[in-house]
Amino acid sequence: MYNMIGKLEEIKKQAGEEINSIGAIEELKKIEKKYLDKKQGELVQIFHSLKDLAGEEKIEVGKKANEVRSFLIEALKSKAVEIKAKEDGGSGEEWLDITIPGKKIEIGHLHPITLVRREVEGIFKSMGFNVADGPEIETQWNNFDALNFAKDHPAKDGWDTFWIKSDKAIDPDSPERLLLRPHTSPVQIRYMKEHQPPLRIIIPGRVYRNEATDASHEFQLHQVEGLMVDKDINVANFKYVILEFLKKFFKREVKIRLRPSFFPFTEPSFEIDFSCIICGGKGCRVCKQTGWIEMMGAGMVHPNVLKNAGVNSKLWTGFAFGFGLDRLVMMKYKIDDVRWFNSGDLRFLKQF
Amino acid sequence: MLFSYNWLKKYVKGLPDPQKTADLLIKHSFEVEEIKKNGNDWVLDVKVLSNRADCFSHLGIAGELAVALGKKLPAFVPLKAGLRRGKGGKFKVVVEEKNLCRRYTAILLENVKVGESPIKIKERLQFCGINSINSVVDAVNYVMLETGQPLHVFDFDKVSDVNFKVQSSKFKVLKKIIVRRAKANEKITTLDDKEYKLNESILVIADEEEPLAIAGIKGGKKAEVGSGSKNILIESANFDRLAIRKGSRSLGLRTDASLRFEHGLDPNLTMEAIGKAVNLIQDLAGGKVTGGIDFYPKPVNPWRIKLDIEKVGKILGVEITEERIIKILENLNLAVVKKNKDSVLFKVPTFRQDLKIQEDLAEEAGRFYGFEKISIQAPMVYLKPEERNENIFWEDRAKDILKEIGFSEVFNYSFISEDEKDLFGFNSADLTEIENPLSSEQKYLRPILEVSLLKNIKTNQNNFDEINIFELGKVFRKIKTKNEKCKITEERILTAMMTGERFCEMKGVVNLLLKKLGIAGASYEEFENGARINVNQSAVGCLGGFLPRILKALKISRPLTIFTLDFEALQKLSSEENNYCPISRFPSAMRDLAVLVPVKTKIAEVIAKMKQFGGVVTKEIDLFDIFEGDNISQGKKNLAFHIIYQSGDRTLSPEEIDEIHAKIVKGLEVEAGWEVRK
Repeated sequence: MYNMIGKLEEIKKQAGEEINSIGAIEELKKIEKKYLDKKQGELVQIFHSLKDLAGEEKIEVGKKANEVRSFLIEALKSKAVEIKAKEDGGSGEEWLDITIPGKKIEIGHLHPITLVRREVEGIFKSMGFNVADGPEIETQWNNFDALNFAKDHPAKDGWDTFWIKSDKAIDPDSPERLLLRPHTSPVQIRYMKEHQPPLRIIIPGRVYRNEATDASHEFQLHQVEGLMVDKDINVANFKYVILEFLKKFFKREVKIRLRPSFFPFTEPSFEIDFSCIICGGKGCRVCKQTGWIEMMGAGMVHPNVLKNAGVNSKLWTGFAFGFGLDRLVMMKYKIDDVRWFNSGDLRFLKQF
Repeated sequence: MLFSYNWLKKYVKGLPDPQKTADLLIKHSFEVEEIKKNGNDWVLDVKVLSNRADCFSHLGIAGELAVALGKKLPAFVPLKAGLRRGKGGKFKVVVEEKNLCRRYTAILLENVKVGESPIKIKERLQFCGINSINSVVDAVNYVMLETGQPLHVFDFDKVSDVNFKVQSSKFKVLKKIIVRRAKANEKITTLDDKEYKLNESILVIADEEEPLAIAGIKGGKKAEVGSGSKNILIESANFDRLAIRKGSRSLGLRTDASLRFEHGLDPNLTMEAIGKAVNLIQDLAGGKVTGGIDFYPKPVNPWRIKLDIEKVGKILGVEITEERIIKILENLNLAVVKKNKDSVLFKVPTFRQDLKIQEDLAEEAGRFYGFEKISIQAPMVYLKPEERNENIFWEDRAKDILKEIGFSEVFNYSFISEDEKDLFGFNSADLTEIENPLSSEQKYLRPILEVSLLKNIKTNQNNFDEINIFELGKVFRKIKTKNEKCKITEERILTAMMTGERFCEMKGVVNLLLKKLGIAGASYEEFENGARINVNQSAVGCLGGFLPRILKALKISRPLTIFTLDFEALQKLSSEENNYCPISRFPSAMRDLAVLVPVKTKIAEVIAKMKQFGGVVTKEIDLFDIFEGDNISQGKKNLAFHIIYQSGDRTLSPEEIDEIHAKIVKGLEVEAGWEVRK
């Protein structure tokens, strides 16, 4: 047995030296044949003789033979690489093709609305606003009545509402009638009932509008509502807060303009436009040549709303505003169709 | 709503060009959606705000423009022909619904010659979207566009006669106009030859026999004014906005008249409008006023609002002088009743029904002063750090963890369809149904997130080999409370899906998620096709495969692994606490161990045994391979573990480790059918 082991050691040593000394692929092949040829190879001879051995010895020698074979194969391979590299580049070092495409690393992605919502929250938080939330199913009272909507007024037509089917017959004007909130404004009422002023909140959330969809209309959207109630809050303060927000969000100078509007829950009420961030106000396709982009509705909180939420309107005033988050996201990433947001299509989602 | 520029110009001297006129409106009053040239005129499409019923008229818009230019509102033209109040002569008016018809003004005009309207009137009607019919009908439509008051004309001779008892035996033939609710199933044929079935919620104008018009909505065929009409009755009435809105909705019929009534008109407008109508009809078709009735039992009078002058500046954040405020409000036809030291008492004209409180007056002052003149001022408030919203905080944390693991977030519609309800076997009694869905696709609110996530898998299966998605959103369920009352719940759920049969991997995701949310003590329990996830013995979610029947029906070609967690429960269990665990200064040693056990042996059981025999120094046990078949005997599986031995207070000697390892081996082999491979 030790004879055999010794012989294997010798083969290993000798073959190793032979491999080391050569410089051409042809010679390498000769060595390979000498030791590893399936019929005459020196090593193969030993494998053949294994059958004559028995028990422990057979195992030991077999193990050693395998080890030597692996060693030879490995040595031949690395020598071949070395010779080839010498022939190709001369340096003998491994050549790195840096044009090889990088491996695609898979990571997860957050929805663009989540990303932009966080950004919006961050800017308002930095100005001392809290973030509030509320349910998507609301009562008519919180959604309309408390917000000073007159009973069955055409003003409500602007809030195309999905109503929840009731199990029992219910008066369409009942304050308890349930609906899917068409705006996040009812959270104003909920929040003020729990918290006395001074208060500063934004309310991001999902809203629903019963209207047909196309590239710029969706029946399920996201809104950000804002509310600030304090001593002597005025329109000039609102202008400041919203301008600061826009400047931080778009990272550039932005102008705004206020146009008269009507919302039952604010008085006075405004529409807010901001100067087109694409053309800077000169007029382009995005702003329909007007230089302005419609952004949100806003106004000073109506005293009836404060009263309905249990806030003394003699002591406190405030402003409120609401804008579409989806539109902001579309502007930020130049997304052309609002329907991508609910598509679940990873070709879209993996871009964020 | 469409407005003729030339017409507006008639009321406002010095009106600038159409574009500038539009700019004035945009700045001070309403959005202008389009300016279109039409012949020599321009048509402005103005988005009149819903609280300004007075501006669904050329006079209303002209008023806004006049005040924007610093002038007073245009004045109304007084009625030429005198109207004898309360005396109809040949007709009577009976208002049965006094609450729904606050005013009914009617004038009888005899001997008119109905013809064609002059081109100017025809054009203006057409520009504003109204077809020309004949001179009399055109005249009242014209006045509606001018004043905002809808009017109607009846052919007086087609109204049924009634015998009225004048004295004990003397009768007089009279016409009777009745304002009443329609009877159930009563029918009317309207001017456009359509038949409508009425109901009791609808108000009608009727004669003794049948309805002549659907009040405030549309005229009827019976008393239509045509080329042969000679004597006409002009109606200028005020109907309750809610009644008209309900009626219009129940009939599915919206008209120029109903639109104006719905917004709530000033009852004092009827007289001014009918005066204009009489004047115009007489100009176009002649005729003589022979009677008139003005039913107006409770006249509406102007009201007063006290304006605290300082309040205007406080609301707007800009100083406007008292003089300027008064001037603007006077231009809007408000009158100063009394001036006090700090406040002014104003009388508000009845056509401005939107002005109720002093904030409304502040808005008027601000509008015409110019919102652009309001400067930018940082609010003076005290510092207060943000108070964290726990819901949003934990949602965001969970989303980030899943994102880091490689999952992408999806958003889906909150609705499911009728078909989906059936496929998933939901009971409609447990679902929240939408009363007015866009289509049957959005009939119910989703009770689980899986329905839409499966759609997402389908959307993506042809484009991606591997899909890992999650949604954290609301689900809606209807539950019966103790007293049998139905309650709709709205709760947050977190559901994730992964393509492939990858239970082990998904379990790893759940473990990591829970750990990162600071939740300890999670365990798994066999449940249906997978496992129920418990925390502290109460269920928080489940993990497993998905029913092949549903996958097949949805044409999803790959098996899926999914977990779903009750996020409301999860948030309550979550914690930010995370204590550092001291790292042992003593070296660890790893040994491998492979054990052959019956196929149905639970791995947890094997690990538990290893821990039991290994004791405290058995730091970690990692399963790295499970193998069945080929060289493994039938009914067995091979489990291979790395075991890490480490002590917190000393270096373990190789002999010691060998001893512990041997103890584990011995311990395992005691079990019947377990065999440690050496």
